[in-house]
Amino acid sequence: MIKIAIKDLMQFFKQKRTMLLTFLLPIVLITLFAFAFGGIGGGSGDSRISLQISDLDQTQTSKKAAVLFDSLKGLEIKPTELSIAQDNIKKGKESFVLIFKKGFADSVNAGYNPPLELQYDEAKETEVGLLQQSLIPTIAMMPFSLGDPKTTMANRFNNMAGTKDNTERAIIKERSDKLFDDLSAAMSRSNSSGGSAADFLGGNIKMTKLIAANNDNELGLIQAVAGTAVMMLLFSVVGIGSGLLDEKQEGTLKRLLYAPINPLNILFGKMISANVISILQLLVMFVFAALCFGLSLTEHLPGTLITIAATAFACSAFGVFLASFAKTRQQVQGLSTMVVLVMSAIGGSMMPLFFMPALMQKAAVLSVNYWSIQSFYDVFWRNLSITDPSFLKKIVVLVFIGLILNALAVIMFRKNILKLSRGNFF
Amino acid sequence: MIEVRNLRKNYGKLEALKGISFSIDEGEFYGLLGPNGAGKTTTISIISSILVPDGGEVSINGKNIYTHSRESKQIIGVVPQEIALYSDFSAMENLIFWGGLYGVPDNELKRRAKELLQMVGLSDRANDKVSSYSGGMKRRINIAAALLHRPKVLFMDEPTVGIDPQSRNLIFEVLEKLHHNGMTIIYTTHYMEEAERFCDRIGIIDHGQIIAQGKLDELRNDNGAKDAIAITLNHADERQISALQTFWPDSKMADMNLYFYSQDVKTDLPLIIRKCSEAETDIRSIEIQKTNLETIFLNLTGRQLRD
Ligand SMILES: Nc1ncnc2c1ncn2[C@@H]1O[C@H](COP(=O)(O)OP(=O)(O)O)[C@@H](O)[C@H]1O
Ligand SMILES: [Mg+2]
Repeated sequence: MIKIAIKDLMQFFKQKRTMLLTFLLPIVLITLFAFAFGGIGGGSGDSRISLQISDLDQTQTSKKAAVLFDSLKGLEIKPTELSIAQDNIKKGKESFVLIFKKGFADSVNAGYNPPLELQYDEAKETEVGLLQQSLIPTIAMMPFSLGDPKTTMANRFNNMAGTKDNTERAIIKERSDKLFDDLSAAMSRSNSSGGSAADFLGGNIKMTKLIAANNDNELGLIQAVAGTAVMMLLFSVVGIGSGLLDEKQEGTLKRLLYAPINPLNILFGKMISANVISILQLLVMFVFAALCFGLSLTEHLPGTLITIAATAFACSAFGVFLASFAKTRQQVQGLSTMVVLVMSAIGGSMMPLFFMPALMQKAAVLSVNYWSIQSFYDVFWRNLSITDPSFLKKIVVLVFIGLILNALAVIMFRKNILKLSRGNFF
Repeated sequence: MIEVRNLRKNYGKLEALKGISFSIDEGEFYGLLGPNGAGKTTTISIISSILVPDGGEVSINGKNIYTHSRESKQIIGVVPQEIALYSDFSAMENLIFWGGLYGVPDNELKRRAKELLQMVGLSDRANDKVSSYSGGMKRRINIAAALLHRPKVLFMDEPTVGIDPQSRNLIFEVLEKLHHNGMTIIYTTHYMEEAERFCDRIGIIDHGQIIAQGKLDELRNDNGAKDAIAITLNHADERQISALQTFWPDSKMADMNLYFYSQDVKTDLPLIIRKCSEAETDIRSIEIQKTNLETIFLNLTGRQLRD
């Protein structure tokens, strides 16, 4: 079995064309997708989303807000007059304008979410998703960061209580203020850097902003790397699996059967080599993403390795399964291209899932891609630990998929071998 | 040593084997001669236990090859009809891989591989990719790959199809050497020259049946096969010819050739020549055509061996 696996690996590494397809093409694609999904290389202007801002409020507060947005990493802010901005969108020069409406400052100061409107080019809907990702946290925290945190909190509590009774409101305000003061006192006591409560909440805003900026960056990258990696892996693993059919065509399978070995070992050898190559391919892609795009691989190493192993297992099982099931290489090629493309499309390899209609998102669970990409999200974006049940669940699903497909491959291979023994060899 | 009894095999409606039986002694070189589609490969596949027959039995050294699959596979070497090698591998790598499947230890493998490469005359190309080889060179490696585990029995399925004369001669030398060293060989071919040259015994197979079997001489005698005395004339005189044909009814005139069939050329030749000179026949040349398997096959089936 090991001998056969080693032979398969040797064969693989001797084929330059396959090597290129396995390692170089994915790298090229990752690079393309990484740029396409934006947020790469933070500072460089062209990769940032350009956002026009029209400030109709023209107050101290609204100007501060604009500065806040400007400090977001993935955004390039262009203060523009509304009519010009709208004109730009119509002409396709720009995609969005964020309008600070009149009363912006008043709302913020009163502790409410500010009146904002985003006008955009419908054709650029996909970008809106990314934009929202980076804007929403900042907007949500605006009343805290720009207005008076104390008032904001009291107003929020009032809203939650849903009362219009003035005395009740007064009580709530009083309690909220006390809570705020207590919090503030507690914070200054515990915080060695001597931050105030305002700092605490402000810090929270800054934190949010930071995460929003960084993760947005990483989100696009993870999407690009994981999405591409899984899709390309499926393609290459189909190629490896088809090696079995080549052996049938070339007559080497027959010669393997002459030998005093268990015929199933031929299949197991193929599975082993497919796994090894898959793991290598994924590693190469992630290391590449880490080196060239600053993917935080070393910080997330254990989770990444676990996900890579599980993904490799599931995908190589898929390849071997497909090969054991088809009769000729041509058949596999046609079939697999279809299946891989469909799985990649619904599983989120080509587009982040949140861009897709709800129905598609539901269908996603049917694809290997989904489970793998989501696991990578868990590791890199959601920052889940490797013992987190939600992460482990996905790994278990991947392993399960692998086991099922491998089992089916064994059954099909047996059946084909049997058929072969009955004589339908060619 | 090898006992094949009443093998039957159907591919759907096609009866590929209709009850093949033969037995082979240790050290014997047995030839299975038959045209394309006769069932040679099917027979080889069954006796190397990668194809299950619909009926019949095969045993090697008294052991059924299906119940003793591993054991019998270990003593069998098979040279398949097609070139079954990894073309991205060098000859050396191929040999080591194929030998490794039979559990030959690594250091021993290397030694034997070198030996075999020497034997098939490809030592100098040992490390070149098989894909860069000519058809004949591939055939030679195809044979060598079946020999690493030192099998006691070798099955060769048309090992010389489509190769250059040089490779063919080399393969013949290898065959003779193996036979000389006592290996039991089953050899299929549709070239009667090969069967005549090497085989101790020959089975003639056609349409899934063995229609004649035995030593070459036995085959000749059993089938009443006659040699032909072919006399080429300078000009054909009707009266002379009919006189000769009355004298020797078992004769035939074709083109300028007059064929006299004989089971005993030595005694018949002088008689015929005397008769010719009496008739004052204008003879250009005389040739004795020994019966070959081709004629035997023709006699048996009414068809040519090569279609
Ligand atoms: N896998 C198969 N399926 C159907 N028919 C087959 C198969 N293999 C061989 N045959 C048929 O069986 C007959 C014998 O084939 P084969 O044993 O390959 O003959 P040979 O080796 O003497 O040329 C032929 O008529 C061939 O077409
Ligand atoms: Mg054949």
